[in-house]
Amino acid sequence: MYADYAYLIVALPVLAFLLCLFLGWHLPRGGGFITVLATFGALIVSLGIFSETYPSEIVHQSMPWFANFNVGILIDPLALVMLLMVSFVVTLIHIYGNGYMNGDPGAARYFAEAALFSAAMLGLVYADNLLQLFIFWELVGLCSYLLIGFWYRKPSAAAAAKKAFLTTRVGDVLFLAGIILLYNNLANLNLALKPGEYLLQFPVIYAHISQIAPDQLTLIALGLLGGAVGKSGQFPLHVWLPDAMEGPTTVSAMIHAATMVTAGVYLVARMFPLFYAAPHGLTAVAAVGAFTALFAATMGLTSFDIKRVLAFSTVSQLGFMMAGLGVGAAVGAVAVGVSMFHLIGHSFFKSLLFLCAGSVIHAVNTNDLREMGGVGKYMKWTMYTMLIGSLSLAGFPLFTGFFSKDEIIVIAYEYGTLINFLPYIFLVLAAVLTAIYTFRMWFSVFTGKERSNYAHHESPWVMLGPLVILAVFAFGFGWAAQDDFYSYLDSTFEDIDFVELSVIGGHAMLEGEHGAPAAEGEHGAVAAEGGHGAAAEGEAGGEEAHGEPWYIQILPIFVAIGGILLAGLFYWDKIKKFDPSQVTGEKDPIRKLLLKGYYQHEIMTGWFAETVVYGTALICNTIDIKLVDGWLNWLSALVLGFAQHVRKVQTGIVQNYVTALVLGVVVLVVVITLAKEVGLV
Amino acid sequence: MEFSHYAPLWGEALLTILAVLVVLLGSLMKNSGKLMGYLSAAGLVAALALVASNLTIKPTLFFFDTISVDALSQFFKVVFLVVSLLVVIASMSKYTGKGADEYFALLLFATVGMMVVSSSVDIITLFVGFELASLSTYALAAFDRSRKNLEAAMKYFIFGSVASAFMLFGFSLLYGMAGSTHLADIAVASLDNFGPATLVALLFVIVGFGFKMALVPFHMWAPDTYEGAPPLVSALLAAGSKKMGFVAAFRVILIALVALRMEWYMAFAMLAAVTMTLGNLAACWQNNVRRILAYSSIAQAGYIAIAFVVVGAAYGAMPVNVLNMGPIRADQLGIAGALLLILGHALMKTGAFIGTALVASNVSKGSETDPDDISNYAGLAKRAPITAFCMLIFMFALAGIPPTAGYIGKFVLFSSAIYSGLVWLAVLAILNSALSLVYYLRIISYMYLKEAAGPKIKEQKGYVVALVLTLLAVVWIGVFPEAFINWAMQAAAVLLPQ
Repeated sequence: MYADYAYLIVALPVLAFLLCLFLGWHLPRGGGFITVLATFGALIVSLGIFSETYPSEIVHQSMPWFANFNVGILIDPLALVMLLMVSFVVTLIHIYGNGYMNGDPGAARYFAEAALFSAAMLGLVYADNLLQLFIFWELVGLCSYLLIGFWYRKPSAAAAAKKAFLTTRVGDVLFLAGIILLYNNLANLNLALKPGEYLLQFPVIYAHISQIAPDQLTLIALGLLGGAVGKSGQFPLHVWLPDAMEGPTTVSAMIHAATMVTAGVYLVARMFPLFYAAPHGLTAVAAVGAFTALFAATMGLTSFDIKRVLAFSTVSQLGFMMAGLGVGAAVGAVAVGVSMFHLIGHSFFKSLLFLCAGSVIHAVNTNDLREMGGVGKYMKWTMYTMLIGSLSLAGFPLFTGFFSKDEIIVIAYEYGTLINFLPYIFLVLAAVLTAIYTFRMWFSVFTGKERSNYAHHESPWVMLGPLVILAVFAFGFGWAAQDDFYSYLDSTFEDIDFVELSVIGGHAMLEGEHGAPAAEGEHGAVAAEGGHGAAAEGEAGGEEAHGEPWYIQILPIFVAIGGILLAGLFYWDKIKKFDPSQVTGEKDPIRKLLLKGYYQHEIMTGWFAETVVYGTALICNTIDIKLVDGWLNWLSALVLGFAQHVRKVQTGIVQNYVTALVLGVVVLVVVITLAKEVGLV
Repeated sequence: MEFSHYAPLWGEALLTILAVLVVLLGSLMKNSGKLMGYLSAAGLVAALALVASNLTIKPTLFFFDTISVDALSQFFKVVFLVVSLLVVIASMSKYTGKGADEYFALLLFATVGMMVVSSSVDIITLFVGFELASLSTYALAAFDRSRKNLEAAMKYFIFGSVASAFMLFGFSLLYGMAGSTHLADIAVASLDNFGPATLVALLFVIVGFGFKMALVPFHMWAPDTYEGAPPLVSALLAAGSKKMGFVAAFRVILIALVALRMEWYMAFAMLAAVTMTLGNLAACWQNNVRRILAYSSIAQAGYIAIAFVVVGAAYGAMPVNVLNMGPIRADQLGIAGALLLILGHALMKTGAFIGTALVASNVSKGSETDPDDISNYAGLAKRAPITAFCMLIFMFALAGIPPTAGYIGKFVLFSSAIYSGLVWLAVLAILNSALSLVYYLRIISYMYLKEAAGPKIKEQKGYVVALVLTLLAVVWIGVFPEAFINWAMQAAAVLLPQ
C-alpha cells in the first residue's frame, strides 16, 4: 500500500521547494514548517514501505522515458536504509533549522533550497537506473553549491561554493564517462531485453556484469570511483569539503556530514558487484579510502575551527566507509553491510556533532576553539549530547561508532591476512587519531576557563530537541540494530553470483560469500563464516570461535580509550599533564606540516593551480586566441559579412521577388537536366 | 448514406458551420467580439477532440476518393487546430470590438482550408483547400488595416497568386498526363509516361508548395509579410499555413510523383541546403524581432525539407536498427523527424509570435522605434517576466537545445539523414543550428542582460494563457518524446509503401 505512494518521497519535498520558493516570503520563518512537514511525510512513507517489505521484499516501479531510458524507483534494502536515514536526519535538521535560521532575511530561500536538496538526495537514493541517479546526483551538487554560498555576499562563502562546485565537477566528469562507457559496453552486448527492462537499470547491470570485458570493467569502475571520490570528499578531491563549512551550520550538518557526502559511498555500494568484478576496482577503493581516513584525521588534529575539525573528521570517516567497501575484495558483499552500517551510524552522530557545534556557535559567536572554553557551564544539554556524539565518533565501547567503525577495522584485518595489511594499519592509526582530535575538540569547547566573552545561554528547545533525539540514536543505534542490519542488507545482492564475479575480478584467494568453498585451509575459519559471520560477530562479543586473534578484536577498545585519555592529558584541565604548545614547538616541522594541511593549498593552489595549470592555461589561451579564435573570428566575420549581402537581396519590391522565383525555377530545371545528362542522378 | 459514416470529418464540418455562424451572429449582434472569441475557442477544442478520437485511424476515403482520413492527415489537423486555438486564445485579448467576428470567422475558414489540404488525395480538392486557406489568410494579413498591414497583405497576395498559377499549371500537366486527378492514378501514370512535361509539372508543383513552405528562392514574401501582418496572424502563417505546404508537398511529391524520385531528390537537396543556410545568414543582421523569426522560419523549413532528400536517398531501404528503437526504415524516420519538427516548430513559432504580439501591443507603446524592434525587448525579463521566460524557452527550443520539442525533431531528422548516408547534409544542418544561436541568443541577451527601458507592464490574460500552454507543450514533448515519436512514425508510414 505504501509502496504505491513511493513517488511522494520525492514529490513532497519538491512541492515544499516550490511553496517556499514562491510563497515563503509571506510565511512565518520563511515557510520552514512546510519543509519539515514534507520531509517528515517522506519519512512516514519510507517507514511504511519498510514495514511492508521487511525483511526481503523489493519495490520496483518503472515507466518508459525515451529511447531506451526509463524513470523508475527501486527500493531494496540498500536503498531503504538510506531513505530512512536521509529522511529522518534531514527532518530533524530542518526542525533545528527553524530555530537556527530564524531571523535570517534569506530564510525562505534557505528552506526552498533545503527542500530541493532533500528531494534530490532522496531521488538519488531510490533511482532504479544509473542515468536517473546521475541526474539527481547533479541536482544534489547544485543544491550544495547554492547552500554553501547561501551567504553569497560573503566573499569566502562565494569562493567556497565555487570551489566545491568545480572540484566535484572533476569527479562528475569521470562519473559521466563511466556511465557512458558502461552504457556502450552493455549496448554492444545486443541484449534481448524483456519489456520493462532498460540498459542502465541496476538489476540489468548486475545481471550482465559478467559479460563485459574485464579491462572495460576496470575503466568503468575507475570512472564511477572518480565520481564517488569527488562527492564523498576523498583524496585528492577532498579539498572542497572543509571550505564548504562556510555555509550555515545546518547545511554543514545536512549536506556535508550526514547525507550528500555519503552519496559517493552509496554509489560504490550500489555498484559493488561491478567494482567486485573489475580487476583492481576494489583495490583502488580500499587504497583511496584508507589513505584518506588517515590523512584527513591528521589534519583534524591541528585545526582550530570547530567546524573544520568536524569536516576533516567527516572526510576521514568517509574514508573509513570507502575502505570498508574496498576490503570487500576479501570478504565479499558483506562489506556493503559493514560500510553502510558505519554510514548510517556516522550520519547520526556526525549530524549530532554538527548541530551541537551549531548550538555552541550560536551562543559563542565564533568558530575558533581557542576562544571557547568552559562553555559546558552554560550549555549543559549541548555539552552532554555532544559528549555522546564524540564518544560515538571516537568509537567508545557500546556506542554506535564502536560497533560500526571497528567492524570495518576487523574486516580490514581479514583483508590484510589475505591480501595486504596496509589498509588495516592506516585504519587503526586513523582510529587512534579520531579519538584524539574528537576529544581535543570536546575538551577545548566545554571544559577549562572562558577564553573570551560570550553569551551565557542555552539554545532554544527547537534546536535542542533534535539534539536529544539524535543523541539517542548516536548512542543506541549500534547495539540495537547491528545483527539485523547485516542480514537485512545482505539480501540486497542475494541474487548475484559473487563466485562468478570473483573469477573475473581475479580474487583468487577469496572464500566467496554465503559460505562458498574455502580456497585455503588456513583461512578456513574466516571462510566458513564468510558473509554473515565475519561481519556480524566481529563485535558481537566474540564468544564464538572466530578467524581473528583475540587481540585484534579488543584492540579497537584500547584504541578508543587510549586516544581519549591522550587527548585528556593535553586538553582537559582536570588531568592536564602536557601543554600542547610546549610538546611540539611552533617550529616543529610536523606540527607545521599538519597546521598547513600538508601544504595542500600551497601545492594545489599555489604550485599546481597557479603555476602548472595556469601556465598551461596561458599557453592554451594564447593558442586559443591567436589560432582558434583568430580562425573562428575570421570565419564568423566572413559569414556575417556574407550575411549582410544576403540581407540585401530582400529589396522589398515585389517584382524582384517574383523574378527571383522564376529564376529559381530556371536554375532548378537547368541543374537537374544537366545532372541527368552528366549522369549524376 | 449514414451520418455517422462521416464521423472522421465531423471536425471540419463543425468548424465550417461555426465559421458561418460567427459571421451571421456577428452581423446580428453588437459588441459580440468577446463571445465570438469564446465560441471559436470552444469550437476548436471540440474539433480537436473529434480529430483526436480518430488519431491513428486506418486510411479511410470519402467523397469519391478525394478525401482521405489517415494518421498523417490527423497529425497535421492536430497541428493546425492547436495553432489556431492558441492564436484564438491570444487574440481574445486583442480583438474584442468591432470586426472581431470577421477576424475569428476568417481564422476558422483558414483552419478548415488547411484541414482539407491535409486530407486531400486529389489535386482538385487539394487546390480548393489551398485557396480557401490562402484567401482567408490574405484577408487576415491586412486585418488591422495599417499601412504596413496592407503592404504585407499585398505582397503576400501577389506572390501567392503567382505561386498558385505555377501550381495550377503543374496540376494541369499532371492531369493531362494521367487523365485523372487522383494522386494514386497519377502515381501509376507517371511511371509509364515519363517525359520532360512531368519534370516541368514537378518543378511547378514545387514552386506552388515551396511558396507556402517558404523555401528559398520562393520565400521572399515571408519576411515582409510576417513583419507587416498583425503579429497573431503572423503566428498563424508561420506556424499553421506554412505547414499546409508541407503536407501538400508530402502527398503530391512523395506519393504521386514517386517516379521522379531522383529529380526531386536533387531539387530538394539544393533547396534544403540553400534554404537553411540563407535563412540563418539573413537572420543574423536583422533588428526587427519578427523579421528574425521570419528568417528563422525559413531556416526551419530548410531543415524540414531534409525529409524529402532522405526519402529520395533511402526510399524503400531495408530497415536498420537505429536509436535503439528496433528495426526502422530510414525514410520513415526522416518523415517522422520532419513531422516532429513541424509539430515542434508550430508550437515554438506560435509561442514566439504571440510573445512579439504582446510586446508590440504593450511594451512598445510610446516607444519611437518600430514596435517589433529588438531594442524594445531590452530588460523584458524585468518588465514582463512571464513573457520573457516563455520567449527564452522558445528561443532555446528553436535553436534545438534539449529537452525541448525543437531538439527532438532535429535529433530524429538529422539522425535519419545520417542513417541514409547524407552525412554532408546532416553536418550542414548542424552547423546551421549552431549559426542560428547567434540571433536567438541575441534576443535572449536583450531580454535578460540589458537594462529595462521602462516600467513593468501588465501581461494580459489571453496572451499569458496561450504562452504558458505553448511552453508546457514544448517542454512536455522534449521530456517525454517517446509517444510523439511513435505517433509521427505511424503518420509517416502513410506516405510510404509498406
